[in-house]
Amino acid sequence: MGGEETAPGDRLRRLEAVTDAGLAQLGVDELLDELLERVRELLGVDTAAVLLLNASAQYLVATAARGIEEEVRQGVRIPLGKGFAGRIAAEKRSVFLERVDHTNVLNPILRDKGIRSLLGVPLLFGGTVLGVLHVGTLTPRRFSADDTSLLQLVADRIALAVHARTTQVERTAAGALQRSLLPAALPDIPGIEFAARYVPGGQGEVGGDWYDVFHLPSGAVCIVVGDVVGRGLPAAIEMARLRHVLRAYTLETTDHADLLGRLDRQVRHFEPEVMATVLCAVVDASGEHMRISAAGHPPPVISAGADLPAAILDLPADLPIGVGTTNRRRTSTVALPPGTAVCLYTDGLVERRRSSLTAGLDRLAEAMSAGPAETVCAEIMKHLVGADPPTDDIALLVLRRRPLPESEGDTLELELPALSSSLKPLRIAMRRWLEHVRADRQATADLLTAVGEACANAVEHAYGPVGGTVSVSLKYRPPDVLVTVADTGRWRAPRGSFRGRGLTLMRALSDEVVIERTDTGTRIQIRRTTTEGGPR
Amino acid sequence: MTVEHDSDDTARIALAGEIDMDNARQVEQQILGAISNQLTAVTVDLGGLDYIDSAGLRVLFTLGNRLSTLQITLRLIVPERSTVRRVIDLSGMAAAIPVYSS
Repeated sequence: MGGEETAPGDRLRRLEAVTDAGLAQLGVDELLDELLERVRELLGVDTAAVLLLNASAQYLVATAARGIEEEVRQGVRIPLGKGFAGRIAAEKRSVFLERVDHTNVLNPILRDKGIRSLLGVPLLFGGTVLGVLHVGTLTPRRFSADDTSLLQLVADRIALAVHARTTQVERTAAGALQRSLLPAALPDIPGIEFAARYVPGGQGEVGGDWYDVFHLPSGAVCIVVGDVVGRGLPAAIEMARLRHVLRAYTLETTDHADLLGRLDRQVRHFEPEVMATVLCAVVDASGEHMRISAAGHPPPVISAGADLPAAILDLPADLPIGVGTTNRRRTSTVALPPGTAVCLYTDGLVERRRSSLTAGLDRLAEAMSAGPAETVCAEIMKHLVGADPPTDDIALLVLRRRPLPESEGDTLELELPALSSSLKPLRIAMRRWLEHVRADRQATADLLTAVGEACANAVEHAYGPVGGTVSVSLKYRPPDVLVTVADTGRWRAPRGSFRGRGLTLMRALSDEVVIERTDTGTRIQIRRTTTEGGPR
Repeated sequence: MTVEHDSDDTARIALAGEIDMDNARQVEQQILGAISNQLTAVTVDLGGLDYIDSAGLRVLFTLGNRLSTLQITLRLIVPERSTVRRVIDLSGMAAAIPVYSS
């Protein structure tokens, strides 16, 4: 390159111009414009431009320019490794072209503009190339070593600002993605309670961990915990894709080993670079069993009762998603007797530097108990995370099958949305409770229908389109079951003969029915004996 | 729900699971979809049902009306020991559609 040395006074002036503390006040876009303007002046060049590598790292995009603004306006793209700028980015070194011609410059704008000489340097941050800064002249020009150094100094400054902005934007976006996708409220399922935690990894950076809980059309509940390998925004985006794909497949298949197989094929076809571990559990509509399939995911920990030690479930560890497998995936069935708690989590919870995974699992089993889900969740976080700064993000989901009432006088209390879709969960909860109070077969069937009709009445007549809730309480007063179904809507006369049939049925199946209608709601009380063949 | 054709002009529809206000319309569509106008007789077997509410009863009453218009004979099978027998009996179904135990 060569060229004459810069005088010491000039050199200082030049340095000050590009390291000026005032520049720190500017946003990235203003900083780019300001620095390009100063560079143009200091080096006496006609054009200055910044191209940034796009997210896929496949090509450079013109982002800021002075004297050659059309580059930005036209969204010039230069493939990595091709042409002048592409070569600088690929080789991570400065390139000087004394004479621009068709063979060494790809971008027609540079040629059309009549640019004769070009000097470019890479934007580097921590050894990674973020883009290219180049300057050009309309007359042939030789750049000195000092010119190149100055340009590199400016490039470093730009790289720092661009990196900081990218990081900030990505963190904000990844955080927003996580927040929008983790269920804000876990589904309300009679007889089952949930609690969950999500904690970002080191320096508050979110990653690809997620949990999800949703109803299946069958009335069963699907629970998913997963972990996409990687960090930050790319992992969070991938997590979002996997979560949706998995949800979509749950409508297509009821076999969740098959579900994970489909997810795996989908990922390998569309996102071959992605790897994830996923655990999928389905609690059947009665709440009595949970079927689990795991794809490379750490095993759930289960606690069957307050006095029993928690156990790490021994599941077949099938391959993670995205690595390819021809083996059929497996499903295990776990019984969930009342009072059982299960803990699902991602590896961030149990993995620590300087400590083995086995030790982490043992600590988890020790911290796990069969208490209320919220308490179990808090205890686990307290014992496994405490005040340690997390290195990896952590997702934790605890579910517990509620213990059955212990004394005969116990009650079943439910608060349900006044929707027809509440009727099935109501029957599930009632069957379980009636079994517990040893109601006979006919009493169970009659109570299910009578209470179902009372609730259907509230669903149909109590509220306007905005909706409301219906509360159901069952009390066992041997030998009777006393039921109260209450809504807070305004009574209106039933429409159509069919609701009339429902009320007739309700009366016929019960020993006693009392309906109270007030301005503040309707209350239906039903009494039915549990031991005789039918109402007297 | 399963559908069997005993011959070209008769069908036997076996219902299973639960029918309530939430899925009654869907069940109704499935039953109607299984009945072509070539049929002369349809049997609906409720032996496998675990639950039926008044919305489900309405589906059966409506079906009875429709098939009567189409001159297709409808009969119900409700085994004595079946879970829904009592509700069917109380509903007065037998006055509209012949109910058999087997």
